[in-house]
Amino acid sequence: MTRNFAAWPIILLLTVLSLPLFIMYLFLLVDTFSNTAPGSLLPNEFTLEHWRFLIDPTITGDVWKPTLTTVIFSASLMIIVVSVSATAGYALSRLALPFRRFVLSGIMVMHAFPSVTLIIGVFLVLQFAGLYNSLTGVILVKASLMLPFGIWIMKGFYDAVPWEIEMAGVQDGASRFTVWRRIILPQVKPGLLSLALFAFIDGWSEYMLPRILAPSSDFEVLSMYLNTVSDPNSSTYNFNIFKSVGLFYTLPVLALFVLFQNRLMNIFGGGTKG
Amino acid sequence: MRTSSPHRANLLGLAFMTPAMVLLLGFFFLPVVLTSVFAFTNMSTATGISGGSYIVTGNLLRSLTDEGLDAKTIEALGQSSYVIDQAGLEKARAAGVDAKFITEIGERLKDRSFTSASAFERELKTLPSRPTRVRDLKIAAGAFEQSVLNVRYASRGEMEAALLHMLENPPQGAIERIATASYTGWTWTTENFKNLLVAPDTWRIVGNTVFYVVLTLAFNVLVGLFLAITTFYLPSAGSSFFSVLWLLPRITPVVLYAVMWKWFTWEDGFVFNIAQDLGLPAFNYMKGSVASAWTVVILVNGFVGASFGMILFSGALKAIPVQQLWASDVDGASRWQQIRYIILPHMRWPILFVTSYQTLSLLSSYEQIWLTTNGGPGSTTTVWALEAFKTALNNYTGNLQYGLGAAMALILVAVGLVLSIVYLRLFRFDEMMSKPKIEF
Repeated sequence: MTRNFAAWPIILLLTVLSLPLFIMYLFLLVDTFSNTAPGSLLPNEFTLEHWRFLIDPTITGDVWKPTLTTVIFSASLMIIVVSVSATAGYALSRLALPFRRFVLSGIMVMHAFPSVTLIIGVFLVLQFAGLYNSLTGVILVKASLMLPFGIWIMKGFYDAVPWEIEMAGVQDGASRFTVWRRIILPQVKPGLLSLALFAFIDGWSEYMLPRILAPSSDFEVLSMYLNTVSDPNSSTYNFNIFKSVGLFYTLPVLALFVLFQNRLMNIFGGGTKG
Repeated sequence: MRTSSPHRANLLGLAFMTPAMVLLLGFFFLPVVLTSVFAFTNMSTATGISGGSYIVTGNLLRSLTDEGLDAKTIEALGQSSYVIDQAGLEKARAAGVDAKFITEIGERLKDRSFTSASAFERELKTLPSRPTRVRDLKIAAGAFEQSVLNVRYASRGEMEAALLHMLENPPQGAIERIATASYTGWTWTTENFKNLLVAPDTWRIVGNTVFYVVLTLAFNVLVGLFLAITTFYLPSAGSSFFSVLWLLPRITPVVLYAVMWKWFTWEDGFVFNIAQDLGLPAFNYMKGSVASAWTVVILVNGFVGASFGMILFSGALKAIPVQQLWASDVDGASRWQQIRYIILPHMRWPILFVTSYQTLSLLSSYEQIWLTTNGGPGSTTTVWALEAFKTALNNYTGNLQYGLGAAMALILVAVGLVLSIVYLRLFRFDEMMSKPKIEF
């Protein structure tokens, strides 16, 4: 296209607008490997001391236990969300169900509905169910709140599978279950993978639910750990250390994102709230 | 095949739907119901969640006096009486009172009652086998003391029985009234909504919420559009750099994102140092002044939202037939004219979508505010959702008001439901609903 437009003011504006983000992320990386003299902006020495929290639990407390808890949390979440969405999505996409239209619109409303407003109700449900302050409770809640989205995404993927494939399977005498298991499920593998990744990342990033629904329990996920470390009132407060902890915490998310960028972009673009 | 299979397909459908339905009913539907139900209660930490007991306390007597319960009844409630009955004898035995003395009390004073400790003790002193020490006498007397004051009764029936025992011919309805007032558990009420309506804080928070949603939304849409259009025109290296940079806030876990903003705006943080070097006012921008706190709140949320807008708008931009742009180039249109007359008209639906979507999520979200300014300084950046959450689940005074919080949340739930239904009507609902093509 022709250059009939002065580009530099726009690029300047874009740069200025992006500057806070750029600085924050640049220093997030740089500060974990360097020291900066007080009052100065630029680092003056290279060091690995800010990463010592990985091997020395006296600095910020043991980091590996929350890491393990976070892995368990995110993995359970992923398994529940993917398996429940894969079945329910298929049923809603392809099977003749009573009240199908009603259920489908209900799920759409839930998907659009801001689920954080339910936190007080969820708190009461967990109290009555005796799941308050337990990891199981938090996993179930988080998975349920993700379900409308997961079911919706999976339904979309099933909708895109041609009916002819399914009909051919049925013609050959297979049951609907076999057709789903053997023929349809492999067709929607990309959907399953995207949803699994998304659920894992979402679980990994979750802070609010564990913090609110299990405040005094003996487990701690990394987001809670990071928030404790980065509390300005805490004795171990140090910009460089919490950046290292933060980077450590975020690396898996960034890695997954870099690896599966294209798959995730669809979901991040269309699905989530923000 | 068609005759035999419907049941199997239905069973399969049911089996496939059941786990989802159970979870959604339990953690979506039930919370909505509970929020609506408990919005009409005064449930709080003080009342407990599962129910309470019945207890008459000094405070309760005072408030009953204020409400005009007759003085005689109040006095009787506050008093102790001494009744010599089987239960009292047992209690005395358990307290280690001399057995001979107890038998004597049982024989001589059985079924008598005394209205004051001194009268009862005087009577006891006339008994032959009375203890020599005054302390022992008092212990023995204490075993026969009967009072409802500060005694916890598990059920209403027990409380009423105790009251009946205490009060000789009470006025009409007094027993019921006292029993009701002595309940420590939660009760049904519409006070929550009434209080919300008259509290001056309510309208300030509503104002804050509107201010926050409108400004953040404007930032999201305008910056999102700006980013999408500029990265569309930029050479690909530059455009992908900015796309990735602006995507980062979206994929960064919220805690880290908040913490980075703290580093950026806190005392001794980045902006603080620069401002100091330049001789500008340097303070904790996140909490130091109302204007700077609002700026931080809007930017923190705006940067995340802008990337959402950018992704959506970029997608929509790529869908514009590029021939239209070429043709306009040939006709000598400037970039501004291209944007104004070709791109923006194509953006109408995406803009509407982002606007409605973000309105809903901004109205209900408080995570970022909670983690950054936490509604401060004072409560100047407190929005409705944050206030509801704090009232019910996270305040530092320790008395969590579940009922009032639920009432506040219920208003959000209602707004959320209406808005999400409205915008589902707006955006492609019916095309999603096509029927299954195999009938079983």
